[in-house]
Amino acid sequence: MSATSSAISVQGLKKSYGELEAVKGIDFEIQTGEVFGLLGPNGAGKTTTVEILEGLRARSGGHVAVLGFDPDTQRQRLKDRIGVCLQATNFPEKIRVHEAMEVFASFYSRNVDLNQLLKRLQIEEKRNAFYGTLSGGQKQRLALALALVNDPQLIFLDEPTTGLDPQVRAEIHSLLEELKREHRTILLTTHYIEEAERLCDRVAIVDEGRIIALDTPARLQQQSRSASSIVVTCATPFPEPRPAWAQATESALDSSGHTLTVHSRRPAATLVDLVKWIDQQGLELTDVRLKQPSLEDVFIELTGKSLRQ
Amino acid sequence: MKSYKALIALDLKLALRQKSVIFFNYLFPLIFFFIFGQAMHAERGAAMTMVISMVLIIGILGNGLFGAGIRAVQEREANILRRYKVTPITPAPLLVASVVTGWILYMPNVILILALAHFLYGMPWPQSMGSILVFISIAIAGFRSIGLILASVVNSMQESQLIVQLIYLPMLFLSGATFPLSMFPPWLLVITQFVPATYMVTGIQGMLLQKEGIGANLQPTLALVLTTCVGLFIGYKLFRWEKEEKIRASAKLWLAVVLAPFLLLGAWQMHTRTGIEKTKILNRQLARGDTYLIRGARIIAGNGKVMESGSVLVRGGKIAQVFEGSGPDPKSLNAEVVEAVGKTILPGLIDVHVHLGAPGGFYPDTSTYDPDKSRLRELAAYLYSGVTTVRSVGDGLDNVLQARTIVNSGEALGAELFACGPMFTAPGGHGTEYFKDLPASIRQRAERQSLRLPGSADEARQQVDQLKKDGVDCIKAILEAGAGSQVFNRLDTGIFDAVAHEAHADDLPLAVHTGDVRDVSDAVNAQADSVEHGSLREKIPDALFEQMAKQGTFYDPTLSVGEAMKDFAAGKTTLLKRSLVQQVGPPELLQGTEEAMASKDTESMRKAMSEYPIDMQIANDNLKRAQEHGVLLVTGSDAGNYLVVHGPTVQHEMQLWVQAGIPPFVALQAATYNAARLLRAEKRIGSIQPGNDADLLVVDGNPLDDITATERISLVVFKGERIDRTELFDQH
Repeated sequence: MSATSSAISVQGLKKSYGELEAVKGIDFEIQTGEVFGLLGPNGAGKTTTVEILEGLRARSGGHVAVLGFDPDTQRQRLKDRIGVCLQATNFPEKIRVHEAMEVFASFYSRNVDLNQLLKRLQIEEKRNAFYGTLSGGQKQRLALALALVNDPQLIFLDEPTTGLDPQVRAEIHSLLEELKREHRTILLTTHYIEEAERLCDRVAIVDEGRIIALDTPARLQQQSRSASSIVVTCATPFPEPRPAWAQATESALDSSGHTLTVHSRRPAATLVDLVKWIDQQGLELTDVRLKQPSLEDVFIELTGKSLRQ
Repeated sequence: MKSYKALIALDLKLALRQKSVIFFNYLFPLIFFFIFGQAMHAERGAAMTMVISMVLIIGILGNGLFGAGIRAVQEREANILRRYKVTPITPAPLLVASVVTGWILYMPNVILILALAHFLYGMPWPQSMGSILVFISIAIAGFRSIGLILASVVNSMQESQLIVQLIYLPMLFLSGATFPLSMFPPWLLVITQFVPATYMVTGIQGMLLQKEGIGANLQPTLALVLTTCVGLFIGYKLFRWEKEEKIRASAKLWLAVVLAPFLLLGAWQMHTRTGIEKTKILNRQLARGDTYLIRGARIIAGNGKVMESGSVLVRGGKIAQVFEGSGPDPKSLNAEVVEAVGKTILPGLIDVHVHLGAPGGFYPDTSTYDPDKSRLRELAAYLYSGVTTVRSVGDGLDNVLQARTIVNSGEALGAELFACGPMFTAPGGHGTEYFKDLPASIRQRAERQSLRLPGSADEARQQVDQLKKDGVDCIKAILEAGAGSQVFNRLDTGIFDAVAHEAHADDLPLAVHTGDVRDVSDAVNAQADSVEHGSLREKIPDALFEQMAKQGTFYDPTLSVGEAMKDFAAGKTTLLKRSLVQQVGPPELLQGTEEAMASKDTESMRKAMSEYPIDMQIANDNLKRAQEHGVLLVTGSDAGNYLVVHGPTVQHEMQLWVQAGIPPFVALQAATYNAARLLRAEKRIGSIQPGNDADLLVVDGNPLDDITATERISLVVFKGERIDRTELFDQH
């Protein structure tokens, strides 16, 4: 192990399928207790990277240590220690919740109390229910529970809330926050920017087999070249012409003439100047909003692609 | 280990929660069981084994191909396996759990079917129960593995359905699991030997019918074990967790690898044909297993008892019971009824003196004469005629033993055969004359096979011992100096005594050909078991008959051959015109003999024969006095000699006896019980009593009044099988 605090260490990771280079040299470290997000459009190499880390695929080059194990050569020992929640898995319709838990628990050398786990994931009352009768949210909670039967220090979550309705998604998010509080290391791949913003300590943006950005969500947003925007609405239409406010780059009026959007690199300075001008014009200000660039904006800016491409 | 147990437990629970599994594993076989059971009259015995093997095989095929194969594909296609992929398990526990689950699910069904057969249809508990359960277990494992490898080489549900059907249907229809193998033409039987399910059908039937163990089915058992191992290994190597992982089309060849043990076995069977033989034997066993009551007939039991109206219950190839009158309600016996009022039931007749290597006449074109086929056809001709047992007293050793194996195993239908093999005689003695005109190359082998010409007492003893090892049933020696036109070297008395002594030591009945009184005297003094021919030219002294009666020496007068030789010399062919002879004789043989007798080519032979002294008066008188002295009489015809055609020999011999003044009752006993005693088989054949083989001749009329009634055959029963006499000659 390179360092006791590092759960995953990846250096120069490469993976090719024949001619196709899916991963072209990736480096990152995930610290123990960290929630690490992997963002990228489909085909970016994100799934390949995760599968290499999970021991499902052999790498073509580079160094990888997951919990100190080499996933290529210590596959079974590694799998015994990690928890994985996959997208699009299924169970037989007629398996009961507790049976699924028991059979998966039997695969691992270490187990947690399964009843406690079910209680914690709030599907205790469904322990005797057939899988086929569970709702989408209950199925996802069971999937999470199965990822935790071996009390893993490292959890891989692949799109854990995709396809769930917003309320269930929120419930899952609070569960994941709970896991985060327990200082478990989590590697999360997701399409949902808000999910990454809300849950991740750090985020790596992957595109075309490379990491093109890696930082905390806040710093990524700050580093963005995009301008923030100030949106002001008045009771009466804005007069023409409009002056150039301090630091403002451009402004645009909507079709009603009541709402004005002003872009700025330093929104605080621009806002003061703008409000002063409105006051001088005798306009009645009804609403002011400040919009920071989102992770999505950052993503689009960096990759030129939408996340859900 | 924990994961193996958990997966097995889970697989079981999931299976039992699925209606289709319950239906196909339990209900489906039961439906078949009852349908087959009713349709095939399983309550009468043998058909039950067929029903059981069919039902079990249908179940095993479904369990393996659908239960393991299709299900494994479903789990992959439904993304169920994908989740297992990220756990620390390998494919091994999944594969093993599938095999074990299939076994646990299926075994109760096996027990259930056997129990139903026992309690509802009265089938006795199989003696080789352990072997049956082990064999079925291995078969389940083998077919689960075939199912699993199938799952690992297909890329979609549709593909798996297609391939399963491609394997399932031929196995279902070409293994005897749905259509009995007895319906199959020979070329199709060859194909069945490449179908793994065939071995399960014949294996289970063999264990049920013939009390075979695993040992007798070692080849298919090993092939199934190999299939299981190879199947699991390849299934492991090619295991795919996700439907997105596709496998190349050529991987389907692995299926061939898994089935390879059976392709090899099939090829081996084509070479040895043991599988086909076994199939024929099993079919024979099935045909022999019926239960029926032949009722209301006169019964001449052969051992002295006569019942004016009685019934014989045949079950499992044996005479189960003999009842006075029409017997109990056949329904209570689970028996079919064969009405036989006004008919007479006799034990199957026995001819103790035949030579299968000679046809009894002339073939117009010797190239059409195939001795191997001919032997079996001759044995079929006997059976056709109600002569259910014959003893060969002088034939090529290898050939006659081979024929004995074929008929006695039931592979081909023909009279039960006892065989002496070669004849002991002197160089230049009687018996050698048949070979002296053969080309040197053939002659040496023919003589080695058919003759023993010991030069010393020691050599004689060694030869007898060797024949014992070869497995002969009796020893034939010739004492004959000849007479008239035919003079022979006579076997040295010392050497003959050595033969006799060694035969006794080896517990083999000794049959001695005799020509004149001196020969009979020497034979009797040497404690021969039977005197063959006695003398057709000299009067045998009463004292000698007395000695024979005292010693229990059997007297086989062979009047048939005496009469035939006289007819031959006279150019008479009336013997060929007997109805039964016309029915059984190969047409080309009958025609060829008629033509030969009419031609000048045989004139010299006829002349030589006419110079050979035969006096039927003397022969008849010898027989009559033998009977008066209480000598044990047996019927032999010496068939194979000119004009004595294999088939209805005993009937004619008895007619000659009755003409000589022997009561029909005595003749019938000689032809049945006495003959069986000479063959040392009276505990099994030769009389109608419970426990004996069901070898029966049912004739119209009463042979006690008219011995020719024995030629008016109504039914021949052989080892319990009611012989379809019209089809007997189609089997060759």
